[in-house]
Amino acid sequence: MYDVLAWLETSWLGHAMRSGGVWTYGVVNLIHIAGVATLFGCVLVLDLRLLGLWKAIPLHAIKVPTVPMAKAGFIVAAVSGSGLLAATATEYAGNPFILIKFPAIGLALLNVALVHRHPAWTAPATHAPHGDAPRALRIAAGLSLICWGTALAAGRMIGYW
Amino acid sequence: MRSKSWFWLMGLVLILGISGSPAFAHHGWGGQGTENFELTGKVEKGVSLAGPHATMQVKDKNGQVWDITLAPPARTDSAGLKESTIPVGATVTIRGKRNTDPKKFEIKTERVTYAGKNFDVYPDRL
Repeated sequence: MYDVLAWLETSWLGHAMRSGGVWTYGVVNLIHIAGVATLFGCVLVLDLRLLGLWKAIPLHAIKVPTVPMAKAGFIVAAVSGSGLLAATATEYAGNPFILIKFPAIGLALLNVALVHRHPAWTAPATHAPHGDAPRALRIAAGLSLICWGTALAAGRMIGYW
Repeated sequence: MRSKSWFWLMGLVLILGISGSPAFAHHGWGGQGTENFELTGKVEKGVSLAGPHATMQVKDKNGQVWDITLAPPARTDSAGLKESTIPVGATVTIRGKRNTDPKKFEIKTERVTYAGKNFDVYPDRL
């Protein structure tokens, strides 16, 4: 764990984060929050629809904006987050929230991968456009909220350790 | 929105709110003591303006290395404290608030004194 963090800290990304002026960390942090907000906002809306809110709106109509925006938010958050971590990586060794956050993200992404292969998700937009989502998707939506919510909370708490 | 939907939404907000509440030491002043604390020693690791807070390390006369937490980088910089201002090995005096955990040798700094000059990173707290 420490070796990986030390490698990240001495990488070009770590050097770039530390040599870019006194506002670099703050600005990258801002970008990270924007990415996380975009990702989590989309996850929240999509998962609540799958769990039974706003049933009058076809699932497809919710998927169209939320899925690509969640992807974009994730990429922005992952890139900026790598920079934040690299800036002072070794200081996070032994931080318990890191050990909660990254496994939670891993499980959340696994959940995304499984959902995207599920027939109920890949079914055409015309199939069951309104009403309750299939049971498998409702369960996945619950797991998704738990995983992303945990990642969000643990991520924020890293700085308070 | 129907009342059932509100119930779910409010439940979720509540769970996230509880899981996000800082019930333990804050990166701000919450985890520090309230008494003024002063430390004089030699710079072990010079000022770094990287990361969420500027930092340095100071070794006291007993050989104990202290983590010196300064203000955020821009505030530390505007107090006149740059990475090149104080050389490693120089004698400095740190004034601030010590971490409440006696096992942690950490001071959140209000003022750094070096060569007769004060660098007040939190002048409003002095």
